[in-house]
Amino acid sequence: MTDDPTPTSEVQLSFLDKHRFLLLIMGTILVAMVLVSLSVAMYKISGASQLDLSRPGYQSVSDKVNRTDPITDYSSFGPVNKTTVNDFMKLYDKQSANAKAVDAFNGDPLNPDVLDFSNPTVTVE
Amino acid sequence: MKIPVRLVVIALIAASLLSVFALQTSYANTLSDDQKSRIQANCLSIKGSLNQLHASDALLRVNRGQIYESMGTKLMNSFNSRLNNNGLDNKGLVSVTNAYQAALTTFRADYQLYEQQLSTTINIDCSKEPAAFHSALEDARTKRLKVHDDVLRLNKYIDDYRSAVNDFMLNFQRVTGSN
Repeated sequence: MTDDPTPTSEVQLSFLDKHRFLLLIMGTILVAMVLVSLSVAMYKISGASQLDLSRPGYQSVSDKVNRTDPITDYSSFGPVNKTTVNDFMKLYDKQSANAKAVDAFNGDPLNPDVLDFSNPTVTVE
Repeated sequence: MKIPVRLVVIALIAASLLSVFALQTSYANTLSDDQKSRIQANCLSIKGSLNQLHASDALLRVNRGQIYESMGTKLMNSFNSRLNNNGLDNKGLVSVTNAYQAALTTFRADYQLYEQQLSTTINIDCSKEPAAFHSALEDARTKRLKVHDDVLRLNKYIDDYRSAVNDFMLNFQRVTGSN
């Protein structure tokens, strides 16, 4: 009896098997890129980006944001009588005064006169 | 049959080209040479003012928006729910609340359009394109005025809701006989 060495059988690996780890990494990066793109698009489209004062250019005002909600919650549950309605009215008057305290977006700061490039021939003195 | 179709197509193309030309001419017409040179000369300071306004309006939107949201959810909706939970008629109040919520939605959308327009304006190089800059600025100005109108409308609904609560109170006292 002669001991024949066992023939070494070379397993034919497919492209997928050869590069499985690389493909996994690439796939992961691709999925991450798609998800990030989607979230950035939603962030912009929803208008959330306009409320994000941590963006560059808003540092001067970001510390002036009201961190606490000034409006007190009124309970949806409980009796309705003259006292509770009066309590609500007092609370409502206080908060509505707060809401109307500032005439937001008034004035005309984008007027050429204000920005100092109005046409002097048509400017009314 | 083919000739009229061709004519229509040619007419449409000519009309669109003319409208583009007319639009460009109108930009140029509304802006005098003196204004153009002023925009170009003061470009940096104008951009600085716009950037400041951009930031201060964003702060205003955040702070005012928070108050307007809370007025609707924490006070109006809560009071309406309380009346509903007690089986009382709240139709008048709900109607005002719905109008207020619709006005709030319009305010959000109009502010978004205004902010986008202002950002577009800021991104235009006013030293090179004063006419386009001026046109974009006028558009932003119109949109900002619209946002102010929305704020006034919201304030009006806040007052309307208060009147509706008064009406409810009078009706409630009359029905229950309490003073």
